[in-house]
Amino acid sequence: MSDAGTTVIAVASGKGGTGKTTVAAHLAIAGARGRPTMLVDLDVEAPDASGYFKGAGRSGDASEVSVLVPRLVEARCTGCGLCAKACRFGAILAIGGVITIDPKVCKGCGACVNACPAAALEEIPMTVGQTSSFDADGLAILEGRMAIGDIRSTVVIEAAKKRAAESGAALQIRDCPPGVSCPATHAIEGADYVVLVAEPTEFSIHDLGAAVRLARGRGVPAGVVINKEGFGDADIAGFCEREGIPVIGRIAFKRERAASGAAAEPWSDDAAISGEIDAILALAADGARTDGGLR
Amino acid sequence: MITVSVASGKGGAGKTSLSAAIAERLGAACVFADCDVDAANGAIALGAAGTKSEPYFAGPGFEIDPAACTSCGACQAACRFGAIERTNGSFRVAPELCERCGACLSRCPAKAIRSYEKQAGELLVSDSRLGMRIVHAELEPGEDTSGKLVALVRRRAAELAGNDSVIVVDAPPGIGCPVIASITGCDLVVVVVEASASGVRDAARLVELVGSMRRRAMAIVNKSGLNQAMDDAARTMLKEAGIPVAGEIPFAPALRSVEESNRTWASLDCEAATRIRSALGAVDGAIGALKEKR
Repeated sequence: MSDAGTTVIAVASGKGGTGKTTVAAHLAIAGARGRPTMLVDLDVEAPDASGYFKGAGRSGDASEVSVLVPRLVEARCTGCGLCAKACRFGAILAIGGVITIDPKVCKGCGACVNACPAAALEEIPMTVGQTSSFDADGLAILEGRMAIGDIRSTVVIEAAKKRAAESGAALQIRDCPPGVSCPATHAIEGADYVVLVAEPTEFSIHDLGAAVRLARGRGVPAGVVINKEGFGDADIAGFCEREGIPVIGRIAFKRERAASGAAAEPWSDDAAISGEIDAILALAADGARTDGGLR
Repeated sequence: MITVSVASGKGGAGKTSLSAAIAERLGAACVFADCDVDAANGAIALGAAGTKSEPYFAGPGFEIDPAACTSCGACQAACRFGAIERTNGSFRVAPELCERCGACLSRCPAKAIRSYEKQAGELLVSDSRLGMRIVHAELEPGEDTSGKLVALVRRRAAELAGNDSVIVVDAPPGIGCPVIASITGCDLVVVVVEASASGVRDAARLVELVGSMRRRAMAIVNKSGLNQAMDDAARTMLKEAGIPVAGEIPFAPALRSVEESNRTWASLDCEAATRIRSALGAVDGAIGALKEKR
């Protein structure tokens, strides 16, 4: 749960491509009209939220995210191999008394350093990604971005969450990664409400089911936005009724909306949409566990 | 054995639709490995039946025995992931934050921490009415070892595949651990580029990853025709990366009907179908060339 005075709304989905980033960007635009709002891009493998804000100028405070990885001090190493035995990630190999470290698969837990009886391992920071902040006409954007080839997305997600919390924004809208494994779990952890974006297809319903179980398992209240309504025939509303999860918004499919989405242009001229987005934000705030001045 | 991995960076770009269509054309000559283990839809697309399941164990988790715990706090000091929580004076491991490194276990002077095995999902093998076997999986929501499960899905698919078989891998979105596990050692990556601002950006990150892993790649541009500038951006990115384009598939709502199971893009009858068949033909050609080289 977030601190009192701040409301954190996470936008997630299970399936990719249902419209998480689009919905998150619009919720943030709507939120920023009434209170200090930050859009937090936690889809660190594919960060796209800032793309909605063409004028977003980098405020120049990109900050590196790193983990501490071990480096061997060969003069002190006795080749005992206890470090390799302590590592549960396969990052250290000990063959014939020769220690080889692969820092790319190291999670930075420090178990090897602790296990070494000869103090032959020292720790050095390794960059795994960065967080950057942007300002887009009164809306603050914080983006987490994992380095290409890295696997430590959760470290970058946690760094971005921490930096967002320090901003003191009354409302945070998180754009979460797809799926229901560790990155998605870290991204919804600590949120006060989860907006699950689904589209009317069998694929989306299947993945929505997993996302609902994830939100429930973490004890975070959730509601569903049916995006691209009319695009397919699958009965999301029926699914939500059976699951006992509220439908908090509907966005009809229109080819021109798909075209603006493709170009990452906000639906600013679309009056029907802006009313719907305001309603979704109000319902999410009502369902949230803390009051950040939205009610 | 040839392994073809279909990936995109961005979610919803069309990976599953495309990989299912590639698999339909190969029929019994392929094994379909659905490596999007947290959003597994390949089985829906290919009409899975006769599913056999086995439990998947992710490796040990850790818990603190409150009766043995002396509340000294050494575990909390040892944990770098903030996974040890203190409430009302007693300590507990938060499984969703735990990275399973075991640093707490070795630091506890009271030996109050024990490891335990918990089922984290299921590994599934099904038959498809289209003739191929499907290896898929369901990861329990909130579990953290999708890369390991992807490796297991691929290993099982390789066991089921004959020498002349093709393994078609449906990769998850993103560029992280499970994607790397889906691409490692494959013979060809088919990059699905959604013709949108985010689709092109995310595909560019994937293309860089594929290059660093020195994998052969070809691309299919999907959902073109919505915005000319985005179509051009997709083509330019691929040209600069030196990746051949197998074809372009226009945005057409009719194409999502394959998500209602038992049909793939390979057997659709609509305007976009000719373009799809031409793109699939180019992928078939690349697979044939890889087989020739063996």
